[in-house]
Amino acid sequence: MKVYKISKLTKVYATRTVLDIPLLEITKGRIYALLGHNGAGKTTLLNILGFLDPPTTGNIYYCRQPIRFTEFCLQPLRKSVVVVEQHPILFTTTVHKNLEFGLKVRQIPKKERDRIIKESLELVGMQHLAQAPAHRLSGGETQRVAIARALAVNPEVLLCDEPTSSVDVDNQIAIINILRQVNDQKKITIIFTTHDRYQVDSLAHHTLLLNHGKLFDAADGKSFMKKVG
Amino acid sequence: MDLLVDSFFSALLLVASFDPEIVSIVAVSLKVSGSSTVLASLMGIPLGFFIAFESFAGKRMVITCLNTLLALPTVVIGLFVYAFISRRGILGPLDLLYTQKAMIIGQTILILPIVATFTIAAISRIDERYSKTAMTLGANRRQTAFVILREARFGIVAAVIAAFGRVIAEVGISMMLGGNARGFTRTMTTAMALEYDKGQFALAVALGIILLGLSFTINLMFHFFQGKTRI
Repeated sequence: MKVYKISKLTKVYATRTVLDIPLLEITKGRIYALLGHNGAGKTTLLNILGFLDPPTTGNIYYCRQPIRFTEFCLQPLRKSVVVVEQHPILFTTTVHKNLEFGLKVRQIPKKERDRIIKESLELVGMQHLAQAPAHRLSGGETQRVAIARALAVNPEVLLCDEPTSSVDVDNQIAIINILRQVNDQKKITIIFTTHDRYQVDSLAHHTLLLNHGKLFDAADGKSFMKKVG
Repeated sequence: MDLLVDSFFSALLLVASFDPEIVSIVAVSLKVSGSSTVLASLMGIPLGFFIAFESFAGKRMVITCLNTLLALPTVVIGLFVYAFISRRGILGPLDLLYTQKAMIIGQTILILPIVATFTIAAISRIDERYSKTAMTLGANRRQTAFVILREARFGIVAAVIAAFGRVIAEVGISMMLGGNARGFTRTMTTAMALEYDKGQFALAVALGIILLGLSFTINLMFHFFQGKTRI
């Protein structure tokens, strides 16, 4: 099943076209790597897929439903798609309350919230920091808590913008394992942007290459690596 | 020098003895300034938040107007309100002149721009990623607004404290609209002005000490709140 179908999508800032995608289809339950240079349009595409930013032109279908980019239509859709930014920001409160936010928005009862938060923090290995002030965490801890916060709301699609770009090697490995695990166990569709070809090879089922806003190629991870050498 | 030292020690005695007149003056000051700060906050925080959060035509002009109102002299506000509430004014029948209500109205007008502009500044400084994060976690517009408000809380509390500091120390409005009636509309600042005119420095200095003490206590409370909530 296709979770996204995008056709004739463009995004223009002033006079500059940052995205020009004739066709893109994303299959449910797969991991996609979005590879490209800085300024290639990766984050812009992620924001459009996350229903945070409207395209200038084009059609987007989410689970076969055409998307209208009005706040009224987008807000319910955001409950099934979560974006984790390259430099995620945590609310200035405890880690527990950060994870609780999305659950409260979904009006999940307190007991259930506590259970989900505990499980999500355990998944990213951050359970010992539940009551810690979120703004005092290290970069790697912040990234992992941000992923836990996104996973706590049980999204259908997880969009990660360079999830390992600003963390050390240990955290990179941990984050890759977490993403692989949630895809395996919960069948969450994952789209992540990266510059790291090793990560593409080790994690992605499909690779999308963005070059100056154009979707250059799409292939399975290994054949793509052969193509780009 | 002797005058200052003598006045200072006499003032300390007055403060320590809880002189009934001083207690009454301080109570009126706190009641009037506290009420005007609450009213200005109830109007100014939502106004500032709306201006900072929403996009609308003429937004920059509104901000410029509010910034201009920051420099409004108290006597101008006093005159303006007087024109409305004096016997010949359109609100004359309400008989507000020389009452605490009149002082509260004038002081609210004085600090409303302070609360609004400081709130705008506090909200504008909040990282855009907070609203984006709230939205991607499924928050609606109201819930996103609440996140922004929560993140801007220190700036907003600072706005309220600055506003209270402005009204508790103003003289013009209290004198023109309150009339400095003993036991009713006499505040710390109007009493200090009066005692100075009479050459009674002890009471004036005592009230000055209390005014500074109040300011210090409020700022101390703010720092305590900031420390607590920043965890």
